Amino acid sequence: MAYLQLDSVAKQYGGKMVLRDVSLALRAGEFVSLLGPSGCGKTTLLRIVAGFESPDAGTVLLEGKDITALAAAKRQMGMVFQAYSLFPNMTAAENVRFGLRVRRQDGQAQQKRAAELLDLVGLAEHAQKYPHQLSGGQQQRVALARALAIRPALLLLDEPLSALDAKVRVQLRDEIRRIQQETGVTTIFVTHDQEEALSISDRVVVMQQGVLSQVGDPAAIYGEPENIFVARFVGAVAELPGRVVDGGAGVVEVFGTNVRASRARGLAAGTKVHFLLRPESVRLSQPGADGGLTGVVAGRTFFGALTSLRIDLPGRGSLTAAMPSAEANGLALGTSVAVSWDEDAPRVLTEQGG
Amino acid sequence: MSAGREKAVGSKIGLGLIGLYFAVPLLATGAFSFWEGGSHYGPRAYIALVHQKQLWSSLGLSLRLAVETILVGFVILVPATFWMNLRVRGMRPVFDLISVLPFVVPPIALVAGMTALYTGPAWLVGTSNYLVIPYVILALPYTYRALDVGMRALDLRTLTEASQSLGAGWGTLIFRVVVPNLTTALIGAALLTIAIAMGEFTFANILLFNTFAVYINYVGQTSATEAAALTLLSFLITWLAMLGVLLTGRGQVQIGGAR
Repeated sequence: MAYLQLDSVAKQYGGKMVLRDVSLALRAGEFVSLLGPSGCGKTTLLRIVAGFESPDAGTVLLEGKDITALAAAKRQMGMVFQAYSLFPNMTAAENVRFGLRVRRQDGQAQQKRAAELLDLVGLAEHAQKYPHQLSGGQQQRVALARALAIRPALLLLDEPLSALDAKVRVQLRDEIRRIQQETGVTTIFVTHDQEEALSISDRVVVMQQGVLSQVGDPAAIYGEPENIFVARFVGAVAELPGRVVDGGAGVVEVFGTNVRASRARGLAAGTKVHFLLRPESVRLSQPGADGGLTGVVAGRTFFGALTSLRIDLPGRGSLTAAMPSAEANGLALGTSVAVSWDEDAPRVLTEQGG
Repeated sequence: MSAGREKAVGSKIGLGLIGLYFAVPLLATGAFSFWEGGSHYGPRAYIALVHQKQLWSSLGLSLRLAVETILVGFVILVPATFWMNLRVRGMRPVFDLISVLPFVVPPIALVAGMTALYTGPAWLVGTSNYLVIPYVILALPYTYRALDVGMRALDLRTLTEASQSLGAGWGTLIFRVVVPNLTTALIGAALLTIAIAMGEFTFANILLFNTFAVYINYVGQTSATEAAALTLLSFLITWLAMLGVLLTGRGQVQIGGAR
């Protein structure tokens, strides 16, 4: 039995469908990210789980119990918000104790639990500080400690890192994962940042226009996108138009050149496909006489260890190749290169999206 | 002399003139309050005043009414302004309009309307408690504005949801989260209400209650120097209230949710 089960959940605002027939099951202790662009319904779904919104249709089951109509205050769910949500009139420790005070726990037990949680998030020394005396990252850590203090049935994280600067984001992201693994709390994490979702989740749910586009582990979401939306949204991808030439051998014609792609096997000859290549799959070499795709180095972006090169396929679009910077330095702008890849690397999607 | 310096001197002169405009009548009133006839000056008017029982009873009554007005105003307006800011922001123009009605409707019209409309138990209609009703209405613009500004500075939605997710009900939310974060707004509103209740004359006079303002008027008709002394006393009370508003608003840190 799933720990959290969403069955056919639907929600609309003012006639606009925000969620359509969403069904999803979470296992106990799982870390699941809801990933998607703004307006895809991910936050609405989280708020339905939290009890801040009620679905127009469908049910929410927690450990088999229907909680669809249960008030948010009675759901025992810890939530960390995008905006800083600490109570300004309370110190960090008092914030963490708030949920325990509401539950009328013994004072000493409250103090002990608050100290334990602040220690867990690395803020034991800041227990007596008020929110305005803490940095954004520290405030979100206290919010995390506060959410965990009540031993929540579910931890709900609504883009908790989006207001933080890049370095703190990465630190806190890793810390959230460490704490989640230590506490074993089942977690739903909403984000529009694919890197965040891929790096800390057991499973990622990619959402688009109120539906679940794909659910899978991070490697599958990145490496095996099931449709063109997921391929485009998660990671960089070069998208070339192709047509299957030989479905048995896995040969696809791209810009008039026949190339091999194992994933084209089984498709009928003549099928129009999206031929998708991740930058790290692209190999560049001296142009030879083997008749493969050729292009010209047209741009470069330096990322430190890696450099990304834009390769123009003359008159036929472009693709991106990512490679170690030392290697990329040998390829000046304007250099002609042969473009190749392992035949298992390209993702081949039919135009219907499968 | 440089243009900048000329400008600075000009503004100092301007401020000085405005200061004189306010100070001279007060100083004259102050001097007059010490006049004992002929060329004699002394504290006789003040001594006579403090020995009048009516002064203390009227002052006590006005202060009691001020406290009741503050309490009734907060009980009505804190939840109403909270709910408007949290759930029905579209109603803001209606709230704004209602809050300025006391500026538009003259007190004399209000009191006529009240006497015609209100009936009720003797402890309310038959006593000075009745004045709390118009006083709440008179204080409405100040109380509502102060609370609204305070609540807009808070991220009410996030704070509400954070406390609900931790299991808190509405009572806990309002008393432990919202009200403690509105201290400045509440103190400001309370002090302004005190100033209004201490100075209100029309309602009290027409409804025949002997409040502080009515007593000042009465003394003014019977003893000119005592009236001057009393005027200074009421100024002092109002000023202390205003000073309180300024001091509580000072050094306030932008906190509250996060915007």
